[in-house]
Amino acid sequence: MADNKKLTTAEILALARQQDSGGGADSNDDNSGSSATPESSQAPVPAEDNKPAAAPKSTADILAAARAQGDPVQGGGFEKPKPAAAPGSTADIMAAARAQGGGATKPKPAADAPKSTADILADARAGGGSAAKASPAASQPKAKKTAAVAPVGDRPALKDMVAAVKEAQVTGGPAKPKLPVGKPAPVKPKFPSKKEKVGRRGFVVLLAALAVSPFVLAWSSMSAIAAIWSLATARFMMPNMVLELPSRFKVGPPSDFPPGTVSAKFKAARGIWIVNTDEYDGQGVIVALASVCTHLGCTPNWLEGEQKFKCPCHGSGFYITGVNFEGPAPRPLERVGISVADDGMLEVDKSVKFQEELGQWSDSKSYEVA
Amino acid sequence: MNPHPDLTVGVIHGLGWLYLLLFFLNIGWSVRSFKVDGQFEDILGFKHIPKAFLWAGYSALLLLVALVHFAVQSATSAEDFVLRLPEFIKNPADSVIANPISFFCLSIVIYIAIIVLRKTWVKPTVSWILFNLSVLFISVSMTDYDFRRIVGKPDNVPIVGMLFLVGFTTWLFFVKANENDKRLAEGRPVREKELSDQVLVWPDLVYTEMICMILITALLIVWGVALQAPLEEPASAVKTPNPSKAPWYFLGLQEMLVYFDPWMAGVVLPSVILVGLMAIPYIDFNTKGNGYYTFNERPFAITTFLFGFMPLWTGMIVLGTFIRGPNWNMFGLYEYWDSHKLEVLNNVNLSDYFWLTFLELPLPKPDPETSFVSQASSILLREWTGILVILFYLFAIPPLLAVTIFKKFFVKMGFVRFMVLANLFLFMASLPLKMVLRWVFNLKYIVSIPEWVFNI
Repeated sequence: MADNKKLTTAEILALARQQDSGGGADSNDDNSGSSATPESSQAPVPAEDNKPAAAPKSTADILAAARAQGDPVQGGGFEKPKPAAAPGSTADIMAAARAQGGGATKPKPAADAPKSTADILADARAGGGSAAKASPAASQPKAKKTAAVAPVGDRPALKDMVAAVKEAQVTGGPAKPKLPVGKPAPVKPKFPSKKEKVGRRGFVVLLAALAVSPFVLAWSSMSAIAAIWSLATARFMMPNMVLELPSRFKVGPPSDFPPGTVSAKFKAARGIWIVNTDEYDGQGVIVALASVCTHLGCTPNWLEGEQKFKCPCHGSGFYITGVNFEGPAPRPLERVGISVADDGMLEVDKSVKFQEELGQWSDSKSYEVA
Repeated sequence: MNPHPDLTVGVIHGLGWLYLLLFFLNIGWSVRSFKVDGQFEDILGFKHIPKAFLWAGYSALLLLVALVHFAVQSATSAEDFVLRLPEFIKNPADSVIANPISFFCLSIVIYIAIIVLRKTWVKPTVSWILFNLSVLFISVSMTDYDFRRIVGKPDNVPIVGMLFLVGFTTWLFFVKANENDKRLAEGRPVREKELSDQVLVWPDLVYTEMICMILITALLIVWGVALQAPLEEPASAVKTPNPSKAPWYFLGLQEMLVYFDPWMAGVVLPSVILVGLMAIPYIDFNTKGNGYYTFNERPFAITTFLFGFMPLWTGMIVLGTFIRGPNWNMFGLYEYWDSHKLEVLNNVNLSDYFWLTFLELPLPKPDPETSFVSQASSILLREWTGILVILFYLFAIPPLLAVTIFKKFFVKMGFVRFMVLANLFLFMASLPLKMVLRWVFNLKYIVSIPEWVFNI
């Protein structure tokens, strides 16, 4: 029925394995070998019917089946039901093989079983623990190894157990937890003498001091740091800068500003020009003009040759009086307060301003008659 | 020795490299011309002369000029160098450029020429000649100290590049639009439909973008290394640099500020520009030109946009970058930036014209002592002409447009959309109108109420 020529590689492999194990082991295996034959011979049947895609099992399945049959053979020929009707995944097969291996190797050393490292370690611990009870000397190297790997919390550490066993060996008795060696409790209260009383008091004080000193240290250092921080904060509140100058300041006697002149002496520091002119309404006055363009706030320059203030941003121009005449500035420069102080000096007051378009230039505080 | 020499050995050698670059570009163009342009049938008895010979001759001339530049080795020979812009060209050019009226007229003429001559100037040979002329203009002008100082300023070099970029993109648009207009006139499908050159985003587009990204990064690195940032002295509240210029992309706004009150030029008009650009999809009822380039199918949209973009925005950037100098005066490209240049200006409000010049009466002056109502009536009496003009402009002109030149639009768009369009249009037109009024009539503000910080 089975056409051997059309066997796939996997099937050939499976067959070969079967024969190998059959040849190498007992004649009992013939049963399993013959039982495997129909399984593997099922595959070529659809191949004869020219339906290759329909039935052939995958290589993995065949391999799995072969393994499932082969493993009991290798495990020592136990009569055992097959793990499952359908061949499981590789993982299942491995698990099954391990389970068998574990069962088979009970007498053997645990390290030979094909288990995962974790399992081996766990077994070794369990075995080591039990073995240590029986023969402490033999378990010592193993215990050292595993203890170095991972001491587990819920179990007694191997080291402890080994120590206990050692102690038991030395004392010859059962292992006992070590109690702190102390004085036996006093039977009678002893009334202390005077000398002793002082010493004890000093001792108590010393103890108290020792107990308190960390807190003292901590609190004092913390307060010191807090004090430094508050000082720094206080310093931060007073930044290292030039504070705003007082809005009232003296600019000198009126004779410093002759008629028809513009003094830019205070422009850089105080943002004003001192102007002495009679062009506004025929009256010779000394005024203080704020050096801020009324268009967008740039600082214009006084051009002596052209006798005008000219703004570099958008080209606004102002006469010497501060009245705008060219460019986009919509209104004249602003005057600030000016007056003659008691000592005859001109005093400028920048806290007040006077706008021409609001008719404020007629205010006597906005000019000083030259 | 002249501290500001027009020509030095370094400048001449740099120009030599520029001419050499132009020479290589024109060699390439000669090859193209030999393959494409054909030949003259008969010139002075010679038959079948390829047109490329003209380009080859021009290229040879460029090479010669470059070699002459490289031959200059000493400072004295640099001062006596012949190939420089003569003074008799500089001075007329300065007087044209530095005058706002002629500058604005020039920009409008260029704008109109771009649109009217769109079939001509985008032809390959013509546009190549224009490109050559622009490069030659810059290289010849570089022999002037003041031109070199303003154009070679690290701030301004990218703006020169931007001008070439604007020219290129405009050219590209008109090339594609012309072809489609021709196809549509012949009843053929547009180029974008017939020769669909659609490509895949991955890898074609992403690949192109990556190449562009690398090139731009390299360019930025070279730029950052070669041109140093122009740092100035520490800022001071009481000292304004002269001239004080906005970043280049805001120079259009700064130019607007020369003609308008700050709240108008700094707040209202920029907002109108932004809102207007956002409103374009809602007021543009023309469904043509969707997905392909065309001019003939959208003449109004394109001319209006180009007017806002070329003379008003790009032109104002050029004006603010290269021409505005100390005290915000206008200076020619070859003119020394003299901070004492005297420009006689006396800007007058419309109310001044009406009361002082026309009626020869003093301005009604609000008395600060009286009540608000009497002050307000006095102010309104003073400004009634300007207020009337503004009301007419904003409320009477849109209906007038609707019944005259924009009749078709009004019918198609409906009342609301048309009013939005008309008002946006009028706001855009207000800038050139105000500029012309300022230049021609020295008009400062149409409505000037500084008492209420309200000036138009």
